Amino acid sequence: MPELLRADGITAGYGDSIILEDIALNLAAGESLALLGRNGVGKTTLLLTLMGLARLRQGRIVFNGEEITQLPTHRRAHAGLGWVPQERFMFPSLTVEEHLSVVARPGGPWNLGRIYKMFPRLEERRRNLGNQLSGGEQQMLAIARALMTNPRLLLLDEPMEGLAPIIVQELMKVIGQIVRAGEFAVIVVEQHARLALELTQQTIVLDRGRVVHRCTSEELLRDRSTLDRLVSVA
Amino acid sequence: MLGNFIGVLFDGVAYGSLLFIISIGLSVTMGLMNFVNLAHGAFAMVGGYACVVVMTRLGVPFLASLPIAFVAAAAAGIVLERSLYRRLYRATHLDQVLFSIGLVFMSIAATTYFFGPQQQPVQLPEFLRGQVHVLGLDLGTYRLFLIAVVIIITVALTWLIERTRFGAEIRASVDNQQASAGLGINVYRVFSLTFALGSGLAGLGGGLGIDVLGLDPTFPLKYMVYFLLVVAVGGAGTIKGPLFAALILGIFDVAGKYYVPQVGAFVIYVAMVVLLIVFPHGLAGRRT
Repeated sequence: MPELLRADGITAGYGDSIILEDIALNLAAGESLALLGRNGVGKTTLLLTLMGLARLRQGRIVFNGEEITQLPTHRRAHAGLGWVPQERFMFPSLTVEEHLSVVARPGGPWNLGRIYKMFPRLEERRRNLGNQLSGGEQQMLAIARALMTNPRLLLLDEPMEGLAPIIVQELMKVIGQIVRAGEFAVIVVEQHARLALELTQQTIVLDRGRVVHRCTSEELLRDRSTLDRLVSVA
Repeated sequence: MLGNFIGVLFDGVAYGSLLFIISIGLSVTMGLMNFVNLAHGAFAMVGGYACVVVMTRLGVPFLASLPIAFVAAAAAGIVLERSLYRRLYRATHLDQVLFSIGLVFMSIAATTYFFGPQQQPVQLPEFLRGQVHVLGLDLGTYRLFLIAVVIIITVALTWLIERTRFGAEIRASVDNQQASAGLGINVYRVFSLTFALGSGLAGLGGGLGIDVLGLDPTFPLKYMVYFLLVVAVGGAGTIKGPLFAALILGIFDVAGKYYVPQVGAFVIYVAMVVLLIVFPHGLAGRRT
């Protein structure tokens, strides 16, 4: 598989504070990666750094053969980074359908028809505004919206956070389908480590802004004690 | 008596319509970009002078000079947005106010230098002059024309914002800049074009307003408070809010000056205070 993402020596944070130090990351096209670690170790910051929304102090990011280190955020999205933010960031003055059409970048496999087939719930709600949705629907829309940009790499930031178990199951099924289909690469940040491990091939564990463990997801899923030591919430 | 009242109402609506065209761009700049642009009236003045120049020096007819006013003010908007305004998006409101009031003084000085301090004339075409008789009332033809223009602009703007992809990009950028950029919307471009559109409409209003508001170099300062009132009362970042606010303020201003001339100029501020007490977010403000 050709290399899709290579990040070297990433040191980043916000303003004067440094959250991440000397992170290296690479990902092949279609590959899936779980980004694990306790609260506040810099997982979200790493995704924001890839999107150009945090302050990168050192290091470089090459995506799909193009250096994107200095690229403004919207150009990174055009290059194929599909961002599903942790806060979901619905647009209160856009309808569900507008959420999808306003970011649509044709020329890939994803369009309104395919999205509605995958998330029939969104089609039912297509005239509702972004702030009139339940938590689960918002998450579906956040994922669907990123898919409409026809990404090469989907960045899922805590997609299961704050959702009822039954919704998590439903959503996991859909996310599992699209991740395993391998149409694009995925990085998943998730507090529920097991969910993320079941979904992905590779895993990186962060602690205090540094990479402390790299392995395959399968390995870590079997090695209960290591998993507990690295990511358990005390 | 009743005829008088309707006449005052009509004049107020026409006056409010004009305030709306000029102020809608300010509502967008303050609502969308969170930028306090006191120099908004300077773009209206650019439009006004563009009208006068092409009419008196090039013999362009009045109606044809209006699109020119729009384009001239929009062009000035783009140039200043790219060169100056953009640098201050993240500055404090105090910096923005100081910067834009500085622009106001520069625009006054530059205009006085090139055109002199006097009022500029406008030659309305024959068919827009005089009065028409409707149901026993004498209505000013030009004021009817102003109201018609505002109806067309309101419909067109609503369509642009509510029905087009560019409109959805504006709304998305207003709702959440970070998410919009992260999903590929070029927020800077959206801002530039929106700023240009707002400046252009102000310029159009400046041209339309010569006959009603007058035009001299102090224009941006003289009417600054009115434009800010429309946005404050209407709520920033919507179309409906400033429209209602401009109409209400227009009616109160005209009625105040007609019925109670001794305190006429204050009536509009009383209206503002009352409206802001009842609607602290503005008539249709976006809640942030």
